[in-house]
Amino acid sequence: MKRILALCIISAFLIISAVSIGSVSVPLIKVLQSIIYGIKMNLGFGAKSPGTGDTYFTIIWDIRFPRVLLAYLVGFSLASAGTASQALFKNPLADPYILGISGGASVGAALAAIYFPKYMGMFALIFALASVYVVYTISKVDGHIPVDTLLLAGIAFGFFSSAITSYLVYVGREKIHNAIFWLMGTFNGALWTDVKLVFLSSFTGFLFLILRWKELNLLLFGEESIALGLDVSFYRKAIIFVISLLTAFAVSTSGIIGFVGLISPHAMRIIFGPNHKRLLPASALFGGSLMVMADMFARILIKPQEIPVGIVTAVFGAPFFIYLLTKRKRGEIYA
Amino acid sequence: MRELSVMVSFSYGEKKVLENVSFSAKKGELLSIIGPNGAGKSTLLKCMVGILKPKGRIEFDSINLMDLKPKDRAKFITYVPQSSVSEFAFTIQEFVEMGAYTTRGDVERALRKVNLWNRRRELVTNLSGGEYQLVLIARALAQGSEIILLDEPTSNLDINHSLKIMEILSELKGEKLIIAVMHDLNLALRYSDRLILLSKGRIEWEGSSNELKPEILEKVYHVKAKIVEIEGNSLVLADI
Repeated sequence: MKRILALCIISAFLIISAVSIGSVSVPLIKVLQSIIYGIKMNLGFGAKSPGTGDTYFTIIWDIRFPRVLLAYLVGFSLASAGTASQALFKNPLADPYILGISGGASVGAALAAIYFPKYMGMFALIFALASVYVVYTISKVDGHIPVDTLLLAGIAFGFFSSAITSYLVYVGREKIHNAIFWLMGTFNGALWTDVKLVFLSSFTGFLFLILRWKELNLLLFGEESIALGLDVSFYRKAIIFVISLLTAFAVSTSGIIGFVGLISPHAMRIIFGPNHKRLLPASALFGGSLMVMADMFARILIKPQEIPVGIVTAVFGAPFFIYLLTKRKRGEIYA
Repeated sequence: MRELSVMVSFSYGEKKVLENVSFSAKKGELLSIIGPNGAGKSTLLKCMVGILKPKGRIEFDSINLMDLKPKDRAKFITYVPQSSVSEFAFTIQEFVEMGAYTTRGDVERALRKVNLWNRRRELVTNLSGGEYQLVLIARALAQGSEIILLDEPTSNLDINHSLKIMEILSELKGEKLIIAVMHDLNLALRYSDRLILLSKGRIEWEGSSNELKPEILEKVYHVKAKIVEIEGNSLVLADI
């Protein structure tokens, strides 16, 4: 419990720090004042001046704070979905995108970039959910979902949709520029509506998962857990639905950001063990923090330009993952 | 006395794995299911616990277990899989707590029964095969189901651990019905109240240890067999 609390404090500290860092550096105290004023203003009691100057307030409340919060919530969602995926597939290499979500979302975003540029997020969301439905339907055998088939169907669908995306990128040329940035993941231009949307999906999804931590533990043992009273078939379907919800909304607002959903549960399993009662909250909090840090690097590494955050997570994430794998090989980590 | 009555058939597509397997067993019994590899022993257990969906019926005191949802069925029947290592680093206590109806008190009682209560904070990944099997049994026990099915509980274990597990099962049968798939015929003969010999998906023979004849074993296993009696225990000697 203490360690989970420590992760909460680290999360809060990182969010405040990330808001203060940028092309214009804002002192921490002014960040706090602006956030408190913004919250009061939105709750309807606080017409007083923020006391930080209007420029700071606009930078913080309208630009940086929603961006950092969105990054946190997307990381939180992806890490929660990643933890659930690894339990569902009984496989430490599973990530939230394995159900075909990223592939579908990419096709949706690329199509929208060519034909309906204003609706990229919505297209990504619809295509992501439709893809899960397709993968799920392909995998269904007599009303049951064998996880191996689901895994393979997800991978096959991923290749298929990646081919379509490549084709759209090829024929779309100039029009597709926005989609390319999106495909690599970005929090640039985050809006409060995005934050609210992802807050709702991450809160609902996380709540379901944490209330069902016992069932997540049992899913690790596959069909055998029926002997311990688990309705394996029902929970597999429910978890697939929740993973889709968490991931599709995250992806629709910020694009395809890899590694956070894969690494967070791994890293936290070393400290907290495999029990989802602790692993899930730890992984979600860690994922959020990791994403805020990655976005911070994305903003400041080549100032004033930005790197897509998906590149940052992959560049730092891949070596970290390899490090974990070599540790595991030596038997130092039990996942 | 509460009675389990089974009558099932099961096929994988066209391939029949169990054909009208029908038997009954009472609470207080230790029943062993023996038979060569591929006879359908593990499939039978999986059908009984609900992992596979057979045709037929599985009744316990006239309640059809096949109609129940997994959580309700777990009150009556549970299963100890065939397994020698755990991939997931739960502590022994976390592992045993996983059952649907398990309370803290049940965990302590079950772990004391298998002598692992003092080691409850150790990781299951660090246990030997025999110790892990004991933890699996404790997990089934803690759930409080009336029937415990075990798939080869002594496979890959040394003689000391095998005997320990069979002794525990013998003690448990007072309050439960224990059904175990066994490959070690001598352990099965020594500890079971009754045996069922399964071959090619059918029951070939059913009876108590002293009723088993070498001809039946020879017919099913295709090896020469001799059954001798030493200090009241039947002992199978194969291929001599």
